[in-house]
Amino acid sequence: MTGIVRLLACTGALRAGLGLAIWIGFSFHAQCAGGSEYFLRWNTNSNPITVEVAVLDENEVRQLRATNWTDGNWQQLLSVYAGQGDFIADLSVPPMLGSYRVEKSLIRFQPRFPLEPGVAYRAVFRPGRLPGNVDRRSADAISKFSLPSASGKPTTVVAQVYPGADLLPENLLKFYVHFSAPMQGGHIYNHIHLLDEAGKPVELPFLEIDEELWNPEMTRLTLFIDPGRIKRGVQPLEEIGPALEEGKRYSLEIDAAWRDSAGLPLRVGFRKSFRVGRPDREPPSPSTWKLQSPKAGTRDALMVTFPEPMDHALALRVIRVADPAGRFVEGTSALSDHEQHWGFTPRKPWAAGPHQLQVQNTIEDLAGNNIGKTFEVDLFEGVQRRFTNEVVKLSFEVK
Amino acid sequence: MKIIARLFFVVLTGIGCFGLRAADWTAGMKEGKPEFKSMGPLAFGPDAILLIADTRGAAVVAVATGDTVPAKAIQPLKVEGINQKIAGLLGTSADQILINDMVVNPISRNAYIAVSRGRGPDAIPVLVRVKAGGNLEAVSLGKVKFSRGELPDAPVDGVVGEGNRQSNPRQESITDLAFFQDRVLIAGLSNEEFSSTLRAIPFPFETVANGTTVEIFHGAHGRFETRSPVRTFVPFNVGSQPSLIAAYTCTPLVQFPLGDLKPGAKIKGKTIAELGNRNRPLDMIVYQKGGKDYLLLANSSRGVMKISTDNIENAENITDKVADKKGQPYETIESWTGVDQLDQLDPSHALVVRRGEGNSLNLESLALP
Repeated sequence: MTGIVRLLACTGALRAGLGLAIWIGFSFHAQCAGGSEYFLRWNTNSNPITVEVAVLDENEVRQLRATNWTDGNWQQLLSVYAGQGDFIADLSVPPMLGSYRVEKSLIRFQPRFPLEPGVAYRAVFRPGRLPGNVDRRSADAISKFSLPSASGKPTTVVAQVYPGADLLPENLLKFYVHFSAPMQGGHIYNHIHLLDEAGKPVELPFLEIDEELWNPEMTRLTLFIDPGRIKRGVQPLEEIGPALEEGKRYSLEIDAAWRDSAGLPLRVGFRKSFRVGRPDREPPSPSTWKLQSPKAGTRDALMVTFPEPMDHALALRVIRVADPAGRFVEGTSALSDHEQHWGFTPRKPWAAGPHQLQVQNTIEDLAGNNIGKTFEVDLFEGVQRRFTNEVVKLSFEVK
Repeated sequence: MKIIARLFFVVLTGIGCFGLRAADWTAGMKEGKPEFKSMGPLAFGPDAILLIADTRGAAVVAVATGDTVPAKAIQPLKVEGINQKIAGLLGTSADQILINDMVVNPISRNAYIAVSRGRGPDAIPVLVRVKAGGNLEAVSLGKVKFSRGELPDAPVDGVVGEGNRQSNPRQESITDLAFFQDRVLIAGLSNEEFSSTLRAIPFPFETVANGTTVEIFHGAHGRFETRSPVRTFVPFNVGSQPSLIAAYTCTPLVQFPLGDLKPGAKIKGKTIAELGNRNRPLDMIVYQKGGKDYLLLANSSRGVMKISTDNIENAENITDKVADKKGQPYETIESWTGVDQLDQLDPSHALVVRRGEGNSLNLESLALP
């Protein structure tokens, strides 16, 4: 018996937003039981995209429905592969995960995960594996499909790097890198460079954490300077020197090859040039902070001035305002002047009376010194670190 | 010179029962579909219970895998291009796959791999199992017995922003975890305040009460302490003393006595080896050979180290400045190149994920040195 396996290019409407899909169709003859004619097609009208084999006759449908096939059995009949762009690798790549259903006169394969742009997919239908088909020599039918790679104009940029000042302490502990859109993680340290005045890369300046320290939206990366390159009397520091040295200039560079979550590179690379000043080994002292009280009945900002820049993320998170009843005041805080000014604008007008600025002692300055404790503790001086989450309270009056 | 490094052990309720074995490790588990925001470090507990760190979910999830049929004879295993094969299975390209950890079920000897499908904030966590013979499958987590241990968070989290823009950008990454006796040990690092934490949560997971802080120091090389994070650790009996051997970023190896953990206690660990700089420890196991215990430590740039535990109970606390290396002797296993992930496959083999040609990663069994 001679049957025809015909693969057709689907011309159905493409899903909105997918752009133009690339179709490659083949048609050829194959030996099939019953002389059936089949169509192997990618259904882009379904969401997610599915692979269909049509048209089955009643007998085939009945036989398929009577089977109690495992995924492995189904994959013998119809399998879909995600190409890896490597001929050798593609020979041994397993079929994609997904579910199989028999619907009316067709077999539908729904991938477990949505198809990805730029990946070359290949569906293989083996009609000889249909139940009741004793002739296993039937030719395989193959259809390829891919969604266009991520394209378009790169738009994501490094929006801000904190600390914002141009003069940073020699024992700077961290940078926060803010992006204008979510980024891709994995192997990120390849894209981040600390260069000295001569443009030479500083050797291993950062604490490279495989887990990478992102915020949940992946728009902010925390970049710690390796503490072994900061602290006095630490072996790596003595062996290869500090990452940053007082009196010298450096630049933090982020190359544009880093891709955002849409798969596009950054629009431009980023460079922050800065000078390095003396190390900061003084813990922050809220008693030296200057508070400028707002007027009652207004939504004027409460302004707090620090004598030194504070850690951007912590200053925004661990400073809060309590009203005369001790309840936290709702509002928005913001930092300015290179993280030396903290402002708080309440959602509702200020009530008159005594208020408190409440600061968790985990707040840090740029060198990681906390309230009551320097980043480095000189154990010979008997300084004890407090890990407890204590709160320092500064009173102010709203009139 | 010396550093005193300090760990913060948040010890939760149940500390007093340290060392007691629970009768039923699945106590408190419910059947259903555990939700994951991410899958990071993995560790096996008893009875094929897999502990999965979910950094984004700030939790450790214990899953009863049911994979409890003991392995038959172990055959050599080599899966070339494991990253490409996983990518194929998950319908994407290898550059969109991150292998976050790999462990071996000590009963079935099947390998479990924590994978991110995608690299952005919408990446999908997937647990992949590799059986003898190298066949890959995604572990179905649709209906399993599981329990969830929420990470107690020492700092109080506030939210930043206003209205719909409110968010809490603070996350604590889990850098390693292990099961020991009746508790789960978890090393973590915050993306804001620089506090490296190591927690002990009683298992089976129960209601997690507020933690108690225990400070742990290790005498090292100077008068200043550092809070450098623990990269990888293993529970290990030093003599008869249950201990933790922890590797730090600048590769001192530090021993902490676990049995001394008491709420509010300060415990001083000791540095038992300096393994050299310009290096990052990646993964560590303990194994026996010829009646002796060894530590096997994979590193970013100094290869795989086989570290002797001979006389470790009498090891000198390294407090002096050292030129490069000092302490427990070790040898570098030259042929084990490019090892990223490491676990023990059987008494005489390790299973590793190592870098192959190009961007290919291979899953491979290797005879323990």
